[in-house]
Amino acid sequence: MNQNQATNSDLPHAAPPGISITGVGYRYAGSESDALQDVSLRIEPGVRLGILGPNGGGKSTLLKLILGLLPLQRGEILIGGISPRHARREGLIGYVPQKLEAELGLPISARRVIELGAAWRLLPWKSIRRDSVLQTRIDHVLNLVGAAEYAHKPIGSLSGGQVQRVLIARALAAQSRILALDEPTVGIDASGQQRFADLLARIHSEFGPTIIIISHDIRAIAAGSDRVACLAQRLHLHTSPEGLTPRVLGELFAHDLAGLPAGLSGMHLHTHSAGECCDEPRVELNISTPTRSTSSPTSTPDRPRP
Amino acid sequence: MLLYEYLTDPYTRDLYLQAIVAGMAVVIMCGVLSPLVVVRRLGFIGQGVSHSAFGGIGVAAILAAFGVLSTGGLAEFAVIVAFCIAAALGMGGLSHRRTLPEDTAIGMFLVGSMALGAVLVQASVRVAGERGVMMAGRSWESILFGSILMAGPTEVRTGIACAVGVIGLLWWFRRPLLFHIFDEDSARAFGVPGERMRAVLMILLAVAVVTAMKLAGVVLATALLVLPGAIALRLNTRAGRGLAAVTGISVVAGIVGLLGGLILSTQMDWQPGPSVVLVLVAMFAAGWAVERLGGPHGASRAALGG
Repeated sequence: MNQNQATNSDLPHAAPPGISITGVGYRYAGSESDALQDVSLRIEPGVRLGILGPNGGGKSTLLKLILGLLPLQRGEILIGGISPRHARREGLIGYVPQKLEAELGLPISARRVIELGAAWRLLPWKSIRRDSVLQTRIDHVLNLVGAAEYAHKPIGSLSGGQVQRVLIARALAAQSRILALDEPTVGIDASGQQRFADLLARIHSEFGPTIIIISHDIRAIAAGSDRVACLAQRLHLHTSPEGLTPRVLGELFAHDLAGLPAGLSGMHLHTHSAGECCDEPRVELNISTPTRSTSSPTSTPDRPRP
Repeated sequence: MLLYEYLTDPYTRDLYLQAIVAGMAVVIMCGVLSPLVVVRRLGFIGQGVSHSAFGGIGVAAILAAFGVLSTGGLAEFAVIVAFCIAAALGMGGLSHRRTLPEDTAIGMFLVGSMALGAVLVQASVRVAGERGVMMAGRSWESILFGSILMAGPTEVRTGIACAVGVIGLLWWFRRPLLFHIFDEDSARAFGVPGERMRAVLMILLAVAVVTAMKLAGVVLATALLVLPGAIALRLNTRAGRGLAAVTGISVVAGIVGLLGGLILSTQMDWQPGPSVVLVLVAMFAAGWAVERLGGPHGASRAALGG
């Protein structure tokens, strides 16, 4: 992970913790099949990991297990050496939910949302307003995400993209050393996605957190990740998207991942990290989907085959 | 006769002063809690809790029949509060775990408690008769619609104590509670103890509802928890003020409702509880009408569902 060395800035973000996931399985009560099966994954400190998979592929379940929002049924997850529930209590992970989950009818300003995330542990008789260190930090992250000019507005009056920036600012202001983003680019157009990728890159270079992005959209993942894990109940691929432009991947994967196997084969063809694949037979099986690979002239010549 | 005359008449002055002080404690407490109840959609749970008080009244009555406690005193109030807190936690727990759909869970507790209360009250009369215990009778009307004019010094003191307790607890937990209400999953991921916050909310709700029953009875207690906040949030849609301002408006709306209702009740010789609720409903309707008819700006905001 030489490109991912955490750049410690003046802000007190210590070295981010890594995450190790070993043999994790999960089945929802009343469900006939496993949502997750035997998932093992090591997320190095400071890496930007994209978890890609179709809807219902277990991405959100894995994220909730990492966040400690679901109890662990099988396997083990360690975040910087401690359990997810413990890590949650320590406030290690800054969660950026999909924007629609929040209660936007609450009459509070965007800045107040950030203050609550960053300082809900403050003793009741201490003032958030008069905490100059905290206020400086909030100003800084608001500028970083570009939300300073609408931070005073009610959170319910902001657009989806603005709310998302505020929620990212909240995670940064809380000094979370792991950022977990759930479907961050849903409903954002192509130029918005590029701006989002730029923002993540800025955050990563300044704070150096471990970043986990969950998405079914390959472009969102490819633009901002060092590593990609493909998840459809089981972990199909854990690789690096190095050298791939969002454009090529966009063509290969089409818009959604209804045809995930085809996408997976394309993914495999373009990776330079041989031996990373955890499910070789399945990938071989899917190479027989030539229509998508050949449609892109740039993708055919440089097929690395072992 | 006018409220003013009641207040200057030496024979009725104390009665009305006590009613106003006890009522003030109730409406201030409910006004503070009300915006959160509306935003969090706790109105129906509140209704369930207030009807559960019936079960508490039944338990207290049977205990009184066996001579364990006396009706109308602090001990009876404590039994009712305890019963309502248990019911609130039960309803909250069942609906959160999705064991049952929320409305079914609440409806079950509501009718179950009312039925239990009815049976126990009837049984207590028989037991008291057999044992020769003298029990202070309670009119069904005062249980159903409140009896603020019956408020003695004990009611005034418990009302103020409950109001101080509820507002104090709310102040103590305001940051994690607000974070929890805004976005429960994120709050948990940031380390806010979700179960504890849900329990705090349910306890606040139960204590407020039981105290409000003195003023508005089992049937109308929830009105005091829902209407002031609904009025304040409605008036705030255009102004975009923060939660502190909305809470202030909510408290003022509650006070206006109380005083207006007491004036109406003395003028028209209506029961005070229903009069207060009618004034609050009229205020909400007036606010809605003003917004609908308040010029093109107001109309456009209303059309947007503002």
